[in-house]
Amino acid sequence: MSASGTALPLPNDLEATWSFLESGIDQIMNRLEQGLSYKRYMDLYTGAFVFLEVIHYQVVCNFEGGIYNYCTSSRMNPGFASEPLAGPGSNINNNRGANLMGSDLYARLISYLERHLTQIRAESEQYMDENLLRYYTKQWEKYTTASSYVHHVFRYLNRHWVKREIDEGRKTVYDVYTLTLVSWRDNMFSAVQHNVMDAVKMLIQRQRNGETVETGLIKLVVESFVSLGLDDADSTKSTLDVYRDHFEKPFVEATQNYYKTESEKFVSENSVTEYMKKAEARLLEEEGRVQAYLHPTTFKNLITTCETVLVKDHTDIMWDEFQNLLNMDKLDDLHRMYLLLSRIPDGLDPLREGFEKHVRKAGHSSIEKIAAEGADANMEPKTYVDALLEVHKKYNDMVQNAFRGEAGFVASLDKACREFVNRNEVCKSSTSKSPELLARFCDSLLRKSAKNPEEGDLEDVLNSIMTVFKYVEDKDVFQKFYSKMLAKRLVNGTSASEDAESSMISKLKEACGFEYTSKLQRMFTDMGLSKDLNDQFRDKMDKDNEMSHVDFSVLVLGTASWPLQPSTTNFNIPEEVEKTFQRFKMFYQNKHSGRKLNWLFHLSKGELKTNYIKASKTGYTFQVSTYQMGLLLQYNKETSYTFEYLKQSTDLTPDVLIGQLGTLVKAKVLLMEVKSEQKVEVEETHKTVEEDRKLLMQAAIVRIMKTRKTLKHVTLVQEVISQLSNRFKPKVPDIKKCIDVLLEKEYIERVDGQKDMFSYVA
Amino acid sequence: MSTSEAPKKVTLRSCDEHEFKVDIPVASRSILLKNMIEDVGETDQSIPLPNVNEKVLKKVLEWCEHHVKDAQPTNDDDDSRRRNTDIEDWDQKFLNVEQDMLFEIILAANYLDIKPLLDIGCKTVANMIKGKSPEEIRQTFNIINDFTPEEEEQIRKENEWAEDR
Repeated sequence: MSASGTALPLPNDLEATWSFLESGIDQIMNRLEQGLSYKRYMDLYTGAFVFLEVIHYQVVCNFEGGIYNYCTSSRMNPGFASEPLAGPGSNINNNRGANLMGSDLYARLISYLERHLTQIRAESEQYMDENLLRYYTKQWEKYTTASSYVHHVFRYLNRHWVKREIDEGRKTVYDVYTLTLVSWRDNMFSAVQHNVMDAVKMLIQRQRNGETVETGLIKLVVESFVSLGLDDADSTKSTLDVYRDHFEKPFVEATQNYYKTESEKFVSENSVTEYMKKAEARLLEEEGRVQAYLHPTTFKNLITTCETVLVKDHTDIMWDEFQNLLNMDKLDDLHRMYLLLSRIPDGLDPLREGFEKHVRKAGHSSIEKIAAEGADANMEPKTYVDALLEVHKKYNDMVQNAFRGEAGFVASLDKACREFVNRNEVCKSSTSKSPELLARFCDSLLRKSAKNPEEGDLEDVLNSIMTVFKYVEDKDVFQKFYSKMLAKRLVNGTSASEDAESSMISKLKEACGFEYTSKLQRMFTDMGLSKDLNDQFRDKMDKDNEMSHVDFSVLVLGTASWPLQPSTTNFNIPEEVEKTFQRFKMFYQNKHSGRKLNWLFHLSKGELKTNYIKASKTGYTFQVSTYQMGLLLQYNKETSYTFEYLKQSTDLTPDVLIGQLGTLVKAKVLLMEVKSEQKVEVEETHKTVEEDRKLLMQAAIVRIMKTRKTLKHVTLVQEVISQLSNRFKPKVPDIKKCIDVLLEKEYIERVDGQKDMFSYVA
Repeated sequence: MSTSEAPKKVTLRSCDEHEFKVDIPVASRSILLKNMIEDVGETDQSIPLPNVNEKVLKKVLEWCEHHVKDAQPTNDDDDSRRRNTDIEDWDQKFLNVEQDMLFEIILAANYLDIKPLLDIGCKTVANMIKGKSPEEIRQTFNIINDFTPEEEEQIRKENEWAEDR
């Protein structure tokens, strides 16, 4: 045989070969811990090898159109090298021989494994519970380690006989390692798996009850069940069927029962908040369990089951508790409830609804409170806006922290805010009260005043104003008030900071688009142009040597951009200023012929230096309106005039004259009576808003009818509302009025015979 | 044992009692040896190879040394590798040996489970067959014709389609 003088059996003797191999396999299976020498290993391999040895090789190549098959087969034999290779004829016989011997070896291996495993199983019967697990996992580890040795020792069988059998489609032949698994499954697993699983369930239950248990045992059982998932269609692939059916299913069922009992008991004895803590902890624990010793595919099934038993089956009590938690601002509990309910479908819907209602109520009651404190008509804008912001901030924080900024809650918050910003106690007379107060608040911030905030703070306040602005429906009202107050700030030179002004405008532009702020921006442009114009005029005067003792400056402002009312009265310019005034007019006409200048004296003002009261060296300087200037300058000639005379000389209307004189009287420069201004102005502003809205609605109707030609009344009204909704919320009766106006103007007409149908008149 | 920079070695013993000290990566070209070293672990024992003599083992180890860095073949490239008869230059030179030696290398590669070496060995034999008539083949390999003339005629008929005309 071989020169080393081993006890290798003769290759043609199956019985001898097998008994040699069996003693080796037995050593590997039962006494591997005693070690295995290289020599023993080599002998076993060689024993199986020489028994089976066959070189089976096939070359198929295209060569000059021919196909050559080359097969060689040979039995090991010391004199081989010098002997002729077996011819093709004997080749076939030898292959057949090897086949036969392969199947003999394979069959003996099967029956050995059967006997071996029957022993292991018989021994297992004396164990129960944890001891059974200990025994099962120990045997499993020992068996699989040994099996991989055997697999390698029989590699030659695998390479040839098994491979060919599998290639030929035999489903019941496996490579040796797989065969050992199949054998374990059929002879060991199938007999003990119920008891093993009972023990596993028991162990996990004890762990859930708080005991420390040997989780390594379960991990090994899982590994074993997973390894036994063999695909019957293809033995090289594995499935999770065995694990899923025999482990996961009973385990998840046990879990469901355990938590059903536990949660019902817990809920009946504890508060909802306590229960949520418990459920959260349990869910975390189960997620950890999967990671610690289960197969990752179990995660979904296990957690979904837990979510159903722990959360879904108790949604009602959580939903009921939600309002209480909101009332008490229990952020931690709210967060926990959010996390639990977000795990199940539709769990959050009732929370979102409840949250919206709650925020709306909070907004309303906050405004009611301040409305009750201050007189309704003179609501302080800051108080109002701060109240709105406070509610928004509180609940925005809640959304961000407790509800993780989840989109549904953001939407609920927005909806609630929009509601209480536009419709509340203060706005009950008119929805445009909110934008008005907001614009007033802006004015108070941007106007020069002792209370102006620091620049950094101001930016924050402006940003928070934008938060409220976002919710305002009647953005056009805001625009009207804002531009009016901006105009005032600019004309009177009372704007606190140009940076702050432009920052606010760019915020508005960002929120509403270029068109919304184009007029506001135009106003700033006019201010700049006017400054240049004044410089040029002064240069011209210097050049012409037309020095004037009047210090004169003028703002030229585009009518279209500036919300300035023309004067309601005539006025004679005092002769002291007349000359300069005429020069400027000429200067301007030369520069821009064709432009018409309207002089808004009611918005102009001047400074007068007094000579008659020498309280100090410089004397008093009066800051007065142009009208008052016209009045006072006359007193350079006489010391008293009748009302009628002043009326004639200034050409002012009586009520304006009375107003002007009244101020002078109050300041004890002259004598008379007063009427306050602000209220009238507010009413006027609201009136112009109404006028503008009418025009916008009419324009919208015409636009819609032009594209749609004919339309039903209801649809038309709806479209108008939707087109204008980003500006303001049109009222249906107002739209009807506009339709009537357009019918009258014959832009549209009623369609004969069809009720409520209009058509466009081209 | 050290976690050395130089690869660890094992001792291989041929059937005629010659010992070779080889780096484990070189020995591991043989799947048989690779599996065994992994299973049993590294020890100082020498590894008996009862089926390989010194001359052949030396030759086989020369091949393993040269191909130590090659990737281990997988089942997937089995077919494509077998379908062509190309043999790289070094291997061609390596197998340019006496016919007896060639067959012994093939048998050793088979026993030691060194698939790429078994492949090129068999390819070399296949190339020796290419383009030869049955009689020439018999001469080349020293094969005794054990067919009866009838059997031979039968086989010729069956394979007529493959004849190069």
